[in-house]
This record gives sequence, structure tokens and C-alpha cells, in this order.
Amino acid sequence: MATKKKRTPNTQNSSSSWVAITAESAIDTHKDGDPAFVKLRHPSTDAASLYLFSSGDVGLYEVKAFTEDCHSWFIGQAVQRDGRLLYITPMDPLYLMLPYLVKAATEGKFQPLDQVVMDEEFPACSRLLGCTRSLSSVRHIAEEKEVGSQKFHRYSQEKTLQWLNKKVDRIAAALRRTNISVGEGVKSTTYVRVKAESDASDEDYLRYAHGLVSEYISQDLSRALLKHLQLPELLSPKETEPPSKKRKLSELPVEAAEDFSKFNSSDFARKPPKKMTTAQKTLAKVDKSGMKTMSSFFSPKVKVKAERK
Amino acid sequence: MDLGDFEADNSVSCRLTSEVPDVCRSEDCCLGIDEAGRGPVLGPMVYGICYCPVSRKEDLKSLKVADSKTLTEAEREELFQNLSDAKDYVGWALQIISPNTISTSMLQSGVQLKEVFVDTVGPAEKYEEKLSQRFPGLEVTVRPKADSLFPIVSAASICAKVARDHSVKGWGFTEDLGEVDKDYGSGYPGDPKTKAWLLKFLDPVFGYPQFIRFSWSTAKRLMDDKGFAVYWEDDDEEENGERAAARMKNTSMLTYFKSSTGSTAPGNAHQSHRFFTERRLQGLDAL
Amino acid sequence: MSGHSSVTLVQWSTLGEAQRTAVHLMPCEIEYNGPAQVSQYLTSTIKDRKQEKTVSFRGRGLRGAELSCPQGYTGLVLKDVNPNASDQEDRTVKVSSTFDKLTYWNLETPPNSDDTLVMSMDWPELAEAIHGAVED
Repeated sequence: MATKKKRTPNTQNSSSSWVAITAESAIDTHKDGDPAFVKLRHPSTDAASLYLFSSGDVGLYEVKAFTEDCHSWFIGQAVQRDGRLLYITPMDPLYLMLPYLVKAATEGKFQPLDQVVMDEEFPACSRLLGCTRSLSSVRHIAEEKEVGSQKFHRYSQEKTLQWLNKKVDRIAAALRRTNISVGEGVKSTTYVRVKAESDASDEDYLRYAHGLVSEYISQDLSRALLKHLQLPELLSPKETEPPSKKRKLSELPVEAAEDFSKFNSSDFARKPPKKMTTAQKTLAKVDKSGMKTMSSFFSPKVKVKAERK
Repeated sequence: MDLGDFEADNSVSCRLTSEVPDVCRSEDCCLGIDEAGRGPVLGPMVYGICYCPVSRKEDLKSLKVADSKTLTEAEREELFQNLSDAKDYVGWALQIISPNTISTSMLQSGVQLKEVFVDTVGPAEKYEEKLSQRFPGLEVTVRPKADSLFPIVSAASICAKVARDHSVKGWGFTEDLGEVDKDYGSGYPGDPKTKAWLLKFLDPVFGYPQFIRFSWSTAKRLMDDKGFAVYWEDDDEEENGERAAARMKNTSMLTYFKSSTGSTAPGNAHQSHRFFTERRLQGLDAL
Repeated sequence: MSGHSSVTLVQWSTLGEAQRTAVHLMPCEIEYNGPAQVSQYLTSTIKDRKQEKTVSFRGRGLRGAELSCPQGYTGLVLKDVNPNASDQEDRTVKVSSTFDKLTYWNLETPPNSDDTLVMSMDWPELAEAIHGAVED
């Protein structure tokens, strides 16, 4: 039997080609200058992260990649080994400006923004001030003072929390509109454990939304926001983050197109079903009474009526 | 023999039948089963059946449908014509199993196939017993070399072989490859002509057109050696459930991707929100 | 020098010249970058049924579905103009093709709304909620 070739890892930059689903606003621009991918400090992790400035730095975008093992692209008459799909989506520059304002706040003084939003390690940082929204919206997170023609700013936790609160509400509303599952319980492709109350609660939505915002702010600010939202901190991590194991369940194995058994030959008798993966076996053992199938959540126009407690 | 349907779409299997002779509806009949194209690496496999009234068994001998294995293609054609002409008492049916069906159904079941897959010369008694049970009221005879012992089987064999010959000759490549050189010999992997054709027409990305049975180790080996490596998610059959589950999570996926370009630094303790992990969305630190 | 100052420019002028292209996401990794006879072997053999498309690749049956880009989004294929530049240098990419829909292929399971790729398309709408401007 021939030995299978050993799998070789995809080495640095051997692809030099990317497939990206991009916000049209990043493209529709009549300004001068090419859009640019830059590295900026991630507002939550502090690590270098990839962003995009549109022409003239008018808009800011973040870059995420759908990354799953064993994928490649056919693009026209070519193969691209790297099977990732990039998403270039709008990014609120305020999230990126916040850490610098917070840092400068220790001095307690009002300062001009261009002296605050600066980073030796990430020189592109100062370009953030060029975004349309940056200067017009900074008052959501900072107090403003005008002296002559110059503006000065100082970080305001109070304002920031209010701003973040509005964000959380916006996000929660968006979650309700979509079919995104925010409730507790094991999420699998065909079965979703349904709580006794049957639908995700207000709190579930708030926590989920808070979790999403927390991806863009520091841990300290995240905790302060949680308090501000009057959501108690959950004690065990198990309660906050339901296991995110996504179990891909096949339907019954695809059978051969033809029923070969008609020909009374043992070789074309129905093959036994493919071995179940461990995930499938585990799910098969789980008590599924009380579990709804995934499709029952997708009936059209089922609106979750959120109860005001 | 009109293979029109199969030629129209040779990616699926297809059944061909003659008209049922009237006499076969009123008299007891005997039926022979045989196949053609088990061994070759290309083209379809064909199962053939042939039937006639028991009272006319001897008449088959006059049609000269004896041992089909020793016949040439032309001789088989002629014999099939004889059978066709005898349509007042001989009927037949064929199941043409496309190479695509063979490839996809075999490979999907995960079985590592050997080239001779069907063994009709296996335990004849066992098969005979099984089939007798399955079809009570039928007399089943399973013998090795049945096509040289029983003319009806020989006839079935001829039908099957002729069908296969036609379909191989008339193969309409669905692929947009222009005029394909049809000089592939017998299709048996031992045939040097076939071997040469396989070597010549290997596409490093796609391997072969659907004409070829990918499940056959001949084709597989050539692709592994000369084609670009292709990795499927179910390639590691030995992988235990845990590793498979771990592969699904973000963290171990990073081992497949260079850490300096693309994915977030592996040393990062930051655990993304499940919205992102569930959807396999990761931040990038560079293009 | 930390190396975070390098910038990758996108030659937006190339957007106008870029052609609409068919893109397919395969359920396998092909260890190769370069030209391939996609229309000859793949596109020409795709069968289009009501719920899904089917095709085979290297003898394995695939089941696929077409997905459109989310509202307000366009697909771009970006190509590095100078792939051998070092990480520290400024780089340039061009838009080599565009797409407004893609076809993705599953190995055995029929394409459905629980596929991770389909679910990942939830992201742009949610991004709007997280990053959109907050009213006063």
C-alpha cells in the first residue's frame, strides 16, 4: 500500500492572495490616496492587529478571517491553497482611541487629541484622528474643552459607560432581529437544549451583547460596564460561556445512488453506515427529550417577545 | 444497443432493458447473471441479465453464446445481434454503473478498495443458499465459471460486455477537455497502454475525468505520486475522537497555520467570544 | 524597530479593471497555488439540482450551494504585487477579481444553514451594531 504523503504546513506568504468580503463603503470613495492595511494595537488584547483605512483615512475597518481546516479556493482558473475567507467590516475608531485616552487620564489634564492618540510601536495610530467619526464622536467618551480654536479632551468614564450602554442596547436589539442563539445550553447543529422558559431572556441578550462589546474594550472597562448594566458577575466560567463546541452532524450517510442489492451480489449490498464520530456518539447518548430541532428555531417571523422584568 | 441515456449523462448509473418477450410472461423462465468491467480502472461496470423460457434453453446453444471470455469484441457484437434477433424468446436487462458512482460511493464509504472487488467465484454454496432463501420458489445455482457452463449466463455476459464496450468507446466526456485521446487500451491497470494513458492524462490538480475510477488504487497511487497533495478533513482515520474534537476548536487549528502571519498569536490567552469561535472567525495580525 | 509600521496599500485603481470571477470554496486543502483547469474539470461537470449542486473532485462526491455576499458587501480577491517583499517593507496588493457570490462545497453533508461558513455571514450585520455610530 502506498504511504500517504505527509501533510506540509502552509509556509509564510506562499499564497500572496486573499479572498475578502468587503464593506462597500470601504470601496466607494472619491478621495485621493489608496486604502491601506495597517497594524494597530488591539484595544482589548494589546497585540498587533490588522485594520484597514479607506481612502483618505475617512473610514476604519477591521479584518477578520473565517478560518477552518482543510479548505482551499478555486478562483477562476486557479487554485489558492489558503482557504480562509476574510471579512473587512466597519470599525468604530473610538474603541481604538479609548485606551490612549484612558492612559492619558492618569495625568488628569485636558490634552489635545493628537498628543494623546499616539503610539511609538504603531505609528499608524495617529491616522485614527483622520476618520470622519473620530473627532465628531469623541465627545461620547471624553469631556471637551475649547480654548480659542483648539479643542482639548479628557477621558470621562461616566460618558464612556453611557456610550457603551447604548452600544450594548443596539447590539441586543440586533441579536433579537437575527436568529443568533444567545441562550445557555449546548449548541449543536440539530438539537438545541431548550430551557424551561423556552426562550432566551433579556439578561441572556444583555450578557451576550456585553460579551461582544468586551471584545473591543479593556478587561477593566468590561467589568465596569457589567456593573453599570447591573448584571452581576457570574461566578463560574461555565455559566458565562456555554461550551462552544460545534458539533457537525451528518444526516444519515449518503447512500449509493443505485440500489445494487437488486443484483444479488454481496459486494454491492448496502454498506454499513459510516462510523460515527465521537461527537455524534456523545450526542446520541444525550437525553434529547425536551430538545427542539434546530429547524424549529428557523420558522419565519418568530419574534422573541422580551419581557420587561 | 442504444446507450443514448447513458451517453447523455454518464455520471450516474443507468438501466437498459429489452422488451419482455410474450412467451416469457406465460412460461417458466431461466435467468443468467454476469458482469463486465470489474477489473478495469476506467469506464463503467455493467451487470447483465439474460432470460428465456426453460423450454428453449437448448436453443440458446444454437445462438452460439458459449464461452464469452474467449471471444473478440467483434465476435461478441455478432452474438449480441443474434440474441437481439431472438427477441421472441430471449430478453435481457443491463445495469450500467458509472465510474463516478463507483468512485463516489466507494470512496465515501471509507473502505480502502482492492482492485478486484467482486468475487463471484467465492463460496458458491453460501451464495446459493442465501439467494434461495431470499427468493423462495426460485432455483438458484451459483457456480464458479458459470458463463462457460450455462449458455444463459454466457448470454448475459455477452450483453454486459457489449454494453461496456460500447460505453467505453462512446464515452462522452462531460469535462470540457476537447478531443480526448481514446487510446486507453483494455482499461485493466496491468495493460501497458492503459498505464501509459493514465500517466499521460493525469492532471495534477483534478487527477482524471470522471471516466476513471478514482477508488482504484492504480489511479489513487498515481495521483498521490504525481498530483498535488490534497488533504480532506476525514483523511486521518486513526484520529481518535478527542483529537478530532480538538481540531474543531480554535486553538489547535492554529497548529495548521503559521502563527506569524494570519492568525492571532498562539501564546495569547485571550479567548474570543463564542459568537466568533462558533463561526470560525479570527482576528488577523497581518495579511 | 518593532515592525508594526509597515503598511500594505491597496491599488484601488485596479478595482475598475478587475473581472467578476467564479469562486469555489472546497472542503479539502490543495497544496498548490497556481493555474488549474477549473472550468474544464469542475465547472463543466457540476449538476445543478433544486436544493443543491453536486460535483465530484478526485473521485469524492461534493454537495454545494451558492451564497451571495451580504447586503452592502462585495467580494474581492486581493493579490500581492510583490510577494517576495519582506515583512518590514511596505507592500502593495491589487484587486485581481471581484465576486458577488461564492459556491461552497461540503464533503458529505448537504449544505444547510448550520454550516460554519453560512453562519460566519452573520458577522457583517452584527458588526454594524457593534461599530455603527451611536445616536446622541
